[in-house]
Amino acid sequence: MSVLALDRLFREVLRDRAFRERMQSDPAAATAHLDLTDEERQALLAGDVAKLYGMGANAFLMGYLCRFEVCGLTLPVYNERIRSARP
Amino acid sequence: MGEIVAAYGLPHTPFFPWAVQRDGPESQTAQLFKRARDSLEAARPDVIVIFDTDHLNTFFLDNLPVFAIGVAEAFKGPNDEPRAVPPYTIKSLPGLAAHLRERSVHAGFDVALVQDFEVDHSVIVPLHFVTPDMRTPVIPVFVNGHIPPLPSAQRCFDLGAALRGAIEQWPEPLRVAVVGTGSFSLEVWGPRIDPGKSDGVPDPDWVQEVCRHIRDAQIERLVAAATEQRMLSAGNVAGELLNWIAMLAFVADRKPDFLETQLENGHAYAGWRWS
Repeated sequence: MSVLALDRLFREVLRDRAFRERMQSDPAAATAHLDLTDEERQALLAGDVAKLYGMGANAFLMGYLCRFEVCGLTLPVYNERIRSARP
Repeated sequence: MGEIVAAYGLPHTPFFPWAVQRDGPESQTAQLFKRARDSLEAARPDVIVIFDTDHLNTFFLDNLPVFAIGVAEAFKGPNDEPRAVPPYTIKSLPGLAAHLRERSVHAGFDVALVQDFEVDHSVIVPLHFVTPDMRTPVIPVFVNGHIPPLPSAQRCFDLGAALRGAIEQWPEPLRVAVVGTGSFSLEVWGPRIDPGKSDGVPDPDWVQEVCRHIRDAQIERLVAAATEQRMLSAGNVAGELLNWIAMLAFVADRKPDFLETQLENGHAYAGWRWS
């Protein structure tokens, strides 16, 4: 059920400002406690939103990573990557 | 006895309050909302029932009702930080809300109960524009229009019809306005967003088709056309059309007083007032 953990993380970026700041400054440390697979963790920290989407992550929630520019996801970067995913 | 006096279909685009602040009261978006606001003021409702799709802020993927009714003295929002929207506390009518839920459950709709809740931009943005003083009580009815499997369009229409009957059975005089809010074609943060943007309108033809059915008061045709596959192919939040369809059950065969699209946003504004 770690896709649910990812989706929760995305919403915590919106909800919890302290967590948001940790995600902006040191996402590896901020997510170390989460029960993610290695593949999920790598994709998250790389900002590979196409891969996360393919794993079942919710796109609307994933957008919070871009809204708050977490894991290198500025709008141009997010946009190009998610548009490469299969709808 | 409760009386339905008006109905509206409205968008809830989260950046519209900021855009209207920037572009002023003569901007298209401000004018379209003003049309609904003027009509709503003339309708003098005692309560507004709003059909809305929560964007995983009132509920979440760990606990996600297909239908729910908010039963509370008041609720707050928005809880998702849309720009240029102040925090609001909105009064409600818990007695009427509980009555609506009871009647809908007895009519065969398994509507969840939510009593201690906040709402996000999808409820607050339309209210921010059409009832900015927030003096009119509001009852939110939540419809899952985002996370498949979606309820069918017929089911949402029938829920609207059941709630309409429940309002008409309310023992005291009460003027009720109904709002359905959402887009007909919109992808947000998903693969079909436009280059350089956070959203896109994958199927503007569907928007036109939906509006044609509404304009012609051919709601049965709209309900038949709005399959889950058809809606989801129009974008990952295009199931918000279900909120309009539930609202349209209150309108019966009336044609709208106004219906205007913003095709570039995949949505429309519509109003009906008859009492």
